[in-house]
Amino acid sequence: MMNTEFSFIIVDDGELDRFLTRKFLELTYTGVSIRSFQDAQHVLDIIRMTPTGNNPAQTIILLDLQMPMMNGFQFVEEFEKLPPEVQKNYKVVVQTILTSKNDASDISAISAYKAVNSVIQKPLSREKLLSLIEQLKLEV
Amino acid sequence: MPDKIKILYVDDEPDNLIGFKASLRLHYKIFTAVNVPQALSTLDNNPDIRVVFCDQRMPDKTGVDFFEEIRTSHPLPVRILITAYTNVESIIDAINKGNIFRYLKKPWTETDLIAAIDEANKFYMANSMLSIKNEELQKAYNELNKFAHSVSHDIRGPLTGILGAINLAREMDDAEEMKEMMFLMEKSVKKLDAYVLSMHDYYSLQRGELKITEIDFNKIVDELKAIYDINAKINHIEFKVSVKQEEIFRNDAAPLTLIFNNLLSNAFKYQDKKSKTKSVEVSIEVKKNVATIYVKDTGIGILGSHVGEIFNLFYRSNSIEVGSGLGLYNVKSALLKLNGQIEVNSVLHQGTTFKVTIPSI
Repeated sequence: MMNTEFSFIIVDDGELDRFLTRKFLELTYTGVSIRSFQDAQHVLDIIRMTPTGNNPAQTIILLDLQMPMMNGFQFVEEFEKLPPEVQKNYKVVVQTILTSKNDASDISAISAYKAVNSVIQKPLSREKLLSLIEQLKLEV
Repeated sequence: MPDKIKILYVDDEPDNLIGFKASLRLHYKIFTAVNVPQALSTLDNNPDIRVVFCDQRMPDKTGVDFFEEIRTSHPLPVRILITAYTNVESIIDAINKGNIFRYLKKPWTETDLIAAIDEANKFYMANSMLSIKNEELQKAYNELNKFAHSVSHDIRGPLTGILGAINLAREMDDAEEMKEMMFLMEKSVKKLDAYVLSMHDYYSLQRGELKITEIDFNKIVDELKAIYDINAKINHIEFKVSVKQEEIFRNDAAPLTLIFNNLLSNAFKYQDKKSKTKSVEVSIEVKKNVATIYVKDTGIGILGSHVGEIFNLFYRSNSIEVGSGLGLYNVKSALLKLNGQIEVNSVLHQGTTFKVTIPSI
């Protein structure tokens, strides 16, 4: 059932983090489409090149914040410049090691972007992933 | 011999100025001015004047008023008032407002003057030391801030990854997958370890003192070969070294080794994985008391717009292999210690050459 609703894009510069996110997703949903990237700019290019319209499945972008070259903030900034008909095919979920306790200003800054659906704090667990998906399903 | 201490004397009576200059010019560099505008322009042109004497009674302005004015416009020189009659009130007033350091009674004796200059100079030195220390502290605080910020990513990053892996391990059954994950966990732990080690380098460079020894570059190169030959073999990278040293070279070996290690580990790390012919080349030549070192790789290169920033603390230019952002900063600090220079020449997708020059001490 899940397969037609969502596909996933993982953007994280950490090799282990990409592996973990992918495995957690695979454990939770078999057969779902998952693509992972270490360079946020690359993902933007892919989004720009993906035709819009005939794309019923929403894509969840699981986005790391602190990355060299293009970081999560810059990614969201650029993402919000895309045409609305492109943006509506994606939901951005931020995954970060920042904590709302120690990095309150960064967390509230990233949450303030319209494109950002929610923020998860690393480390990832199956519970966190399940409750995220539940919440996203409700919004569809 | 160090430069003479610069002193300005302001007095409207030229005879006084001549007398003052005559008795002090052997030991100090004396500037004189007959009025306030002249005094101000002398101060403007000689910002390193340390002591200003001024006569209290002048036609256009009193000495106390003049000092009150330069206290804000030229705060560094130490101010000493010279007064013929004991106008106690104005002196007390000036001292209380902090306008003057002390006062001398006319007629002055040479001994009084020299003693006053001596005290004033000590005060001046203490003040300038304080401002230097202040700047150093400010710099240290800025770096500390950067550290605090970087620690969140560089230490917590791998740690949360490992925690996540432990979470995942509870759900995993497949032994092969588990092994794959262990491999990635190991990489994270190694990264943490490397980070802690480069932190240690950072601190030893900031705190350590110079230890000058004779340096045999052939020996250094042998040590480097022992470390990097394995890496070269595994990754099919040709590792070439050449040394031309026919004279004695002296400097501190520890920062020198640090420079080699950082430049070489970068040269090996940032190779283009798809490239067929990969090489790292080190050449060293010692000539006329200068060692010129080239570290050349056929790697991925550095974007032109990033070259200016690669030596900055916690700067990372690359997303494929992420470094600690400390390595090249440490290289720069080490070179500062050795009084050396570094130049970088890089072409994207072709490679990078670092040229290091270090003088013999």
